[in-house]
Amino acid sequence: MHIPDGFVSAPVAAATWALAGGSVAVALRAERRDPTPAPAGVLGALAAFVFAAQMINVPVAPGTSGHLVGATLLAMLVGPWRAVIVMAAVLAIQAVLFQDGGLTAFGANLLDMGVAGAFAGYAVATLVARAVRGPRGTAAGAVVGAFVSTLSAAALTALWLALSGLYPLRGILPVMLVSHAAIGLLEAALTGAILVTVLRWRPDLVAGGDGASGARRPAAMAVGLFAVALTAAAFLAPFASSLPDGLERAALDLGFAARQNPLVASPLEQSPLFAALGSFAPVLAAVVGTLVVAAIAWAAARSLSKAGDVAHR
Amino acid sequence: MSRTAERPGLTLAVGLAVILTAALAPAGLQGGPTPLYSWCIWSAVLAAALLSLRRSGLFLAATLVRLAWVLPLILLLALPAAFFAPPERRLEIAGALTARALAAASAGVALAVRLGPAGFVAGLRALRVPERLVEVTAAALSSLILVLRQVRAMLRSREARRPGYGAWSPLTVSPRRTVRGFGRLVAALLLRSLERAECLDRARRARGVGE
Repeated sequence: MHIPDGFVSAPVAAATWALAGGSVAVALRAERRDPTPAPAGVLGALAAFVFAAQMINVPVAPGTSGHLVGATLLAMLVGPWRAVIVMAAVLAIQAVLFQDGGLTAFGANLLDMGVAGAFAGYAVATLVARAVRGPRGTAAGAVVGAFVSTLSAAALTALWLALSGLYPLRGILPVMLVSHAAIGLLEAALTGAILVTVLRWRPDLVAGGDGASGARRPAAMAVGLFAVALTAAAFLAPFASSLPDGLERAALDLGFAARQNPLVASPLEQSPLFAALGSFAPVLAAVVGTLVVAAIAWAAARSLSKAGDVAHR
Repeated sequence: MSRTAERPGLTLAVGLAVILTAALAPAGLQGGPTPLYSWCIWSAVLAAALLSLRRSGLFLAATLVRLAWVLPLILLLALPAAFFAPPERRLEIAGALTARALAAASAGVALAVRLGPAGFVAGLRALRVPERLVEVTAAALSSLILVLRQVRAMLRSREARRPGYGAWSPLTVSPRRTVRGFGRLVAALLLRSLERAECLDRARRARGVGE
């Protein structure tokens, strides 16, 4: 899943570097605020462990091999923010000293395997762990989370390669998802097996995943769910049917479709960027829509919680 | 042989600039033919990388081995991209993408050999990368040798316990047992690595380091 140098275009490299840099900055800030600091040596040992585990490629299907990504496992052990920092160190060492993943693609690789892997996996794992309490729920959550995080990473990799003009998204996405489904199963099985052993011998090492500790990280969970929503919006948009929905069909059949007159024209649809993007325009619309809805929901939740605080006083 | 550069920050910055130049030179994916200057950049970067590697004491055969390691992935990504190109440009696209990726990878190999792990950490510090990230990277590099030694020892003892029984050969016969066994092995590696890191941290703090 490591994209080498020479396969991402300059705009995609710049955008992914900016996003990845921002994510690492936020992760470093969140880690500084954490009241229980983790020694750099422990995070370094985890990074070395993930590095060693990623070196072992395993045949998962004819012509396809995979390796443990480890982001969900890291998120379960040290929390998603620290997992991003550890994955950044692992990917930087791999890119500079071992040419495993390119420097221009470092941002893309970190977003795929580090940010999406840690947050999507952690959010799903926390949801499952809340439904099934105890160590069993933690392990089951990690298994499902690891599978989801592998598929999210594969989908994002397909997006970067398609945006770079290498392949059409409709061509690369199914190939990536199908080939990574097998890798995801292996990742899920290994994450579960490792976590069960860790829970048995050193349960104190597992920082998140169960309902109680997951509740202490609402921001991380919100970011994870938001990442899953954004990925789903971006990837389902190109496959949306162009046929009219039920109401539009009825309007067409009954002859009042021409009477629709929107009060305000869509600003996005009128923009020259929308026209220039061509087949990627639905992706932009879906991503912008998700961002706007998330911003409104966040603002509403914030104002409601403030109002609640005043009422309690 | 790896050697620490005298000015790691400058070496890292120049190396990154060369890699970026090679990796971002147009390869004709936007419709037009691959520009002549792109081929010139890739040839120059490849030649400079080979020269730098030779000066660092790495022979051509060793360089080719390191590049051969990334070649399958490059071909895996370049050949399907050529398949999606118009039929008359398939060969050109495949060649340009492979040349671009190989030039950038050879520059990466030259940078890695010139810097070495210690130079890489010093270079990150010189480029003012956040200290916490540099600390974790340095700790990861110092743990890496121990972890890899531990992996080798664990695989050797596993082989001694079950001679002639490969780690992945029974995956198709009993996948559950194989994955569980491998998971336990990796978990043991994780616990041993963490315990060693915790011991080192305790020892450092007992000596007053990092307070």
